[in-house]
Amino acid sequence: MMDPLSLGLLVAFMTIVVLFSGVSVASGLLIVSAGFLLVFDGMRSLELMPEIFFGKLNSFALLSIPMFIIMGAAISSTRAGADLYEALERWLTRVPGGLVMSNLGACALFSAMSGSSPATCAAIGKMGIPEMRKRGYPDEVAAGSIAAGGTLGILIPPSVTMIVYGIATETSIGRLFLAGVVPGLLLVGLFMAWSIYDTWRNGSAEVLAQRSYTLRQKLEILPRVIPFIVIIVGVLYAMYGGIATPSETAAVGALLCLVIAMIIYRLWSPKALWTILSDSTRESVMILFIIGAAGVFSYMLSSLYITQSIAAWISDLEVNRWVLMGIVNVFLLVAGFFLPPVAVILMAAPILLPIILAAEFDPYWFAVILTINMEIGLISPPVGLNLYVINSIAPDIPLKTILRGSLPYVGCMVLAIVILCFFPGIATWLPDLIMGPA
Amino acid sequence: MATLPSARAASTGGYLILRLIKGLSTVCGWISAVMILASVLITCQMIFVRFVMGQSTIWQTEAVIYLMIGATLLGLPYVQSLRGHVNVDLIPILVKGRARKMLAGLVLLMTMAVVSVILFYAYENWHFAWERGWRSETVWAPKLWIPYLALPLGFGLYLLQLLADFVALVLGVDRPFGLED
Repeated sequence: MMDPLSLGLLVAFMTIVVLFSGVSVASGLLIVSAGFLLVFDGMRSLELMPEIFFGKLNSFALLSIPMFIIMGAAISSTRAGADLYEALERWLTRVPGGLVMSNLGACALFSAMSGSSPATCAAIGKMGIPEMRKRGYPDEVAAGSIAAGGTLGILIPPSVTMIVYGIATETSIGRLFLAGVVPGLLLVGLFMAWSIYDTWRNGSAEVLAQRSYTLRQKLEILPRVIPFIVIIVGVLYAMYGGIATPSETAAVGALLCLVIAMIIYRLWSPKALWTILSDSTRESVMILFIIGAAGVFSYMLSSLYITQSIAAWISDLEVNRWVLMGIVNVFLLVAGFFLPPVAVILMAAPILLPIILAAEFDPYWFAVILTINMEIGLISPPVGLNLYVINSIAPDIPLKTILRGSLPYVGCMVLAIVILCFFPGIATWLPDLIMGPA
Repeated sequence: MATLPSARAASTGGYLILRLIKGLSTVCGWISAVMILASVLITCQMIFVRFVMGQSTIWQTEAVIYLMIGATLLGLPYVQSLRGHVNVDLIPILVKGRARKMLAGLVLLMTMAVVSVILFYAYENWHFAWERGWRSETVWAPKLWIPYLALPLGFGLYLLQLLADFVALVLGVDRPFGLED
């Protein structure tokens, strides 16, 4: 029998090999788990796999995942993204660089409604990118700002990524949502500052000048946007007013968004409704399958004493806690380059959380750091999903330009991580204020 | 997520049996979607009963959890038939031609192996629950074989769709990993 630490290394190596082979993430985790359980724990331990899979999914909190996905899919299937963008543009017209600001603002607001990064990218980018290019913004800024703005989807609540973290680490989902708000706004601010600076630096200062709208034009767009904002406020109120759990509010939110999509955007046809439902089913099943499989994976890790040994080993190392945090960040960053956020969180959380807690870091603050790392992965090669979404909605901007445009925003995110390390209160202040100290 | 836009749903090349299996998986997708929609409605009903009518609820929480588990497991073959299970296709993109086909075959065989193991024990588990009449330890106390049925059923149908994908790969009617050449 190998010692648990070497076994851990072997598991890490085999997991990378198996996942890179092109197998689906969930099946890959099951294959690795079954393989190690069979070799190191005997045939009988395989018996428990279905029960653990079932047990992992047997949770009311998980229900919030399909619910928020339906909510996002309902909103994404309407013109809400475009309306939101237009409304902001009309109202922010007197602000310098108003167009790029309204795009980023629309991304942030749409994130708060959809909870999904690619959906945000597509919804805002379809209108925003052509408009920015038409008015002379450099392609890099047009594509990069939307790619980066889209990543806010997993940080600003409601966020499926945060729910998964909450479930994996048994932390409060409501508190996690709140922890993402101020850092999300910080990122929006950094993105806006960079966009305006870059446009000005490129000598495109004249595009920063405004176009004017009448008050009538400003007012007529509001009725199409306000209902969705009311739902978001309502969902957040229900959750923090202690009225209902995240899953319950998400269910009401999902139903209301479906109804509003049908009434305001006249999404009557069964075909349109089926598209929303089947898209959400596909995404929910994919995520829930990974959650079940990751449950089996973490059972394997702990029954072979790997989780426990790694935590003990790290605490024996007595490294400076910030060096440790640096290493954890590099690890998350690299994992995020290759794997979807949900998979990284589910695989890494059971191993990382004991380490983080032992080093006396706040688990809610860490959720934000982890999520920003995942956001970087969404706009970095080789599998940065947002880059491909932008590429598919603006096919004439070369992938290279999108990539070059996104890089400075990666810089903004790294800067945000550094700021959060110096001022952890940015993440913990709001949840402490609303829900009391953890 | 990590799946590149080039990946497409599995094709059946006009073989009747492959089309039938794909059809079956699609029906599973419909059932799964209806189960998710039902859990939205039941949750809303539960909130209504509790907050508007001020009564306590008995069966709703457990029912929606079982519906969600059922939707997940029955959704497996549907999502597989759409190639919607997220993967990292780094090595598949690097290798070409025959090597890519071999890799795709190996990946499917490994997946089928682990799914078969889970299917076997899931069936045993369900059978115990059925034979011994296990009930959930709640006030509602539903018979557990009903939610447990989702495991062997879902993994069984998933195995069937994986088998169909493997046959389509061997017959050459489907591109390995759905990638363009």
